[in-house]
Amino acid sequence: MAEQAQRRAFEAQAQEKPTHNNHAYEELRHLIVAPEQEGIATIQERLDNLEKRTADVSVVVAEAIQMRREKGDDLALAAALAPTIQETLRESVRRDPHVLADALFPVMGPAIRKSIAETLRGMLESFNEALEHSLSWRGIKWRIEGFRTGKPFAEIVLMHSLLYRVEQVFLIHRETGLVLNHVVAPSAPAQDAAMVAGLLSAIQQFARDSFQPGQTENLGNMTFDELQIRVVSGPNAVIAAAIRGHAPEAYNLAMNETLEEIQRHYSSALAHFTGDPGPFRAAEPQIARLLETQYREKPPETRRPRAAMIAGAIAAVLLLGWAGYSTYLLIEWSRFLSELRKQPGIVVVSYTKDGRTFHIQGFRDPLSEDPKKLISQAGLDPDSADLQLAPYYSLDDAIVARRATALLHPPAGVTLSAKNGELIPEGSAPQNWIAQLEEKAPWIAGVSRVDESHLQNSSLRQLNALRGTLESVVLLFPLGRAELDSGQETNLAQSEKNIRALIAQAVPLRQVVTVELVGHTDITGVEAANLTLSRERADQIRAALLHNSVNSAILLPRGVGTSQPLHDESSEEGRRLNRSVTFKVTLSPLPAAGTASSASGAAPAN
Amino acid sequence: MLQKKVCMLGSFSVGKSSLVRRFVESMFDEQYHTTIGVKVDKKVVNANDEDLTLVLWDIYGEDVFQKMRMSYLRGMHGYLLVVDGTRRQTLDDALRLNDRVVSEIGKVPAVLALNKFDLTDQWEIEPDRETQLAAAGWTLERTSAKTGDAVEKAFLHLAQAIMAK
Ligand SMILES: Nc1nc2c(ncn2[C@@H]2O[C@H](COP(=O)(O)OP(=O)(O)OP(=O)(O)O)[C@@H](O)[C@H]2O)c(=O)[nH]1
Ligand SMILES: [Mg+2]
Repeated sequence: MAEQAQRRAFEAQAQEKPTHNNHAYEELRHLIVAPEQEGIATIQERLDNLEKRTADVSVVVAEAIQMRREKGDDLALAAALAPTIQETLRESVRRDPHVLADALFPVMGPAIRKSIAETLRGMLESFNEALEHSLSWRGIKWRIEGFRTGKPFAEIVLMHSLLYRVEQVFLIHRETGLVLNHVVAPSAPAQDAAMVAGLLSAIQQFARDSFQPGQTENLGNMTFDELQIRVVSGPNAVIAAAIRGHAPEAYNLAMNETLEEIQRHYSSALAHFTGDPGPFRAAEPQIARLLETQYREKPPETRRPRAAMIAGAIAAVLLLGWAGYSTYLLIEWSRFLSELRKQPGIVVVSYTKDGRTFHIQGFRDPLSEDPKKLISQAGLDPDSADLQLAPYYSLDDAIVARRATALLHPPAGVTLSAKNGELIPEGSAPQNWIAQLEEKAPWIAGVSRVDESHLQNSSLRQLNALRGTLESVVLLFPLGRAELDSGQETNLAQSEKNIRALIAQAVPLRQVVTVELVGHTDITGVEAANLTLSRERADQIRAALLHNSVNSAILLPRGVGTSQPLHDESSEEGRRLNRSVTFKVTLSPLPAAGTASSASGAAPAN
Repeated sequence: MLQKKVCMLGSFSVGKSSLVRRFVESMFDEQYHTTIGVKVDKKVVNANDEDLTLVLWDIYGEDVFQKMRMSYLRGMHGYLLVVDGTRRQTLDDALRLNDRVVSEIGKVPAVLALNKFDLTDQWEIEPDRETQLAAAGWTLERTSAKTGDAVEKAFLHLAQAIMAK
């Protein structure tokens, strides 16, 4: 194009001056000036031709801008370009918004996410502050919440005030991704450390390769729902912390410090690590220090105590105390009342409280426990009770037994109990008390029967004992004689006493006593003579007893000779025992009430 | 306990994940779920009279779309190079991959698993080829993740080689 222009310019000149006489001059001039003229013409052409000028500038425009920027003057350039660029963008969006949207897409996502995260963080912080300043109200709200949900207050507070909790900390060998140590907060869920550590470092590798090629900087945070994983990396080790909630940035500082400490302390173990985590066991306290739990703030009670708060607290304590004491009294009284209701012989019909006084209405058997005493025993003030208890006869078993005891005065060793109207005496009692029992019991209120199966008659037992004693006595006689052996007098005297006692004791038992005096002989001599001798011996004893004024009617002498020997007579001792008188007692019941008095009358008067 | 990082290497669908699953969980699944990224598993084995934990990095297999990321292999103590015996191509690919691994990571103990040995009628690897490989120094195992044949053995050989180092 430039060549063409040159040629055209030259031809134009040639046509303007077609003279021949100054041809030489022209030749010369041409020789001297032509190249320059052509140059000028070219330049002229370039300047005049817009197309050419554009083409020229286009070659240098990028370099020019670059040069301008290198001169450090880009602000002016930017200022100059800004309106155009703005206009350009506006125009571009007007024409087709997709072009720009597509171009910006890769940067918009992260930018938006980042902005949202920042906003949320800010909101959380201001929310915290708001909470701090509405302390008491919040406390009340939490209490209401606790009341509503039935959860313990402490749990509500914890739920609302737990800021973050570091649940697990991993110390990981950076190159291999193998776990060097791992700590878990108490009661936090733990995963398999080896696998988690491996996965974490795989993710790290992936992130490094995908997003930041060439850079050694690490992925610092990963967030899964409310679980966040913070990672700090050193040259040979990585610390990862699994955090629930929102830990402050300062926590990373602690992680970094720990990591540096470990890097320093275990530098050679880390460099030569071949899969043995043994040497890193000692690092446990260091990483365990990173397991922290942070609350939004300290519990409300530990806040600055102000005078008003103290006064309020005292008032509250007093109020609570008073309410508590009243409640305590009410509870104690109702407990006492239910105890009182269980008392035999006391019936509570109704009770009312007016001011400090409890009015109790009902009935009371005189034999029941003293209610005033029961009130004192319950730790309550008997004077604050107004008892309106009308007397009555209780048919309660315990009271019936008490009543029977009061009326019957059982002898020592006899107890009385009652069950459904039946009186049950237990133990051993003399006949006369038993007689009294049988006579009086049916008259006692609440007793309809008496069960004597657990009662022993001590008189009867004594009577039988006496009878046994008497019947074992053997009064001895010399061979062939009817006078007692010398030395048998005390034996006779004792027997006489026993007979008297027997008679006396048979009276209340309504028994008639007869004592047979049985005379015996040994087999020496003829039987006829022996019979006579035995009878003589029995008579002899009867006479002695009558002499001592034992009732003659009850003594029946009999001679049996050798017919009822006490012993076999192969020995002299056997024979000696058979020369004797023995007693045999017969008891027979008094035939009828009419004759009873006469039988009693027959009893000896001392 | 001693821990060792072991990687599963080989082309896609040769059975790397299946071998890990068989080894760790004693299970097998006919369905193919290609691995995305890395799955980490672990298993305790006893090699040379010592218990050790193998931390198994099951890495996605190379295909035409994605190359292996060598960075996943950093620090590994050994690897199982897995081949699908019914696709001869996967053996050539595996050996090429192996060269790359050796040049970038260096030489570490490895075992070559010729997998899917249960599919004998489709087997494409000639016995001669195996002899050559053995001569070249490879420890070979004809494994089947499906039946479990030689799976334990392959990992155990690898663990022993690692411990012997
Ligand atoms: N018959 C048979 N099939 C197998 C065997 N091992 C794996 N397969 C099957 O082969 C397919 C691929 O197995 P994967 O274990 O997922 O293969 P991979 O190497 O992990 O594949 P990528 O993760 O994609 O790299 C699945 O359908 C498995 O069921 C084997 O030993 N025998
Ligand atoms: Mg897989």
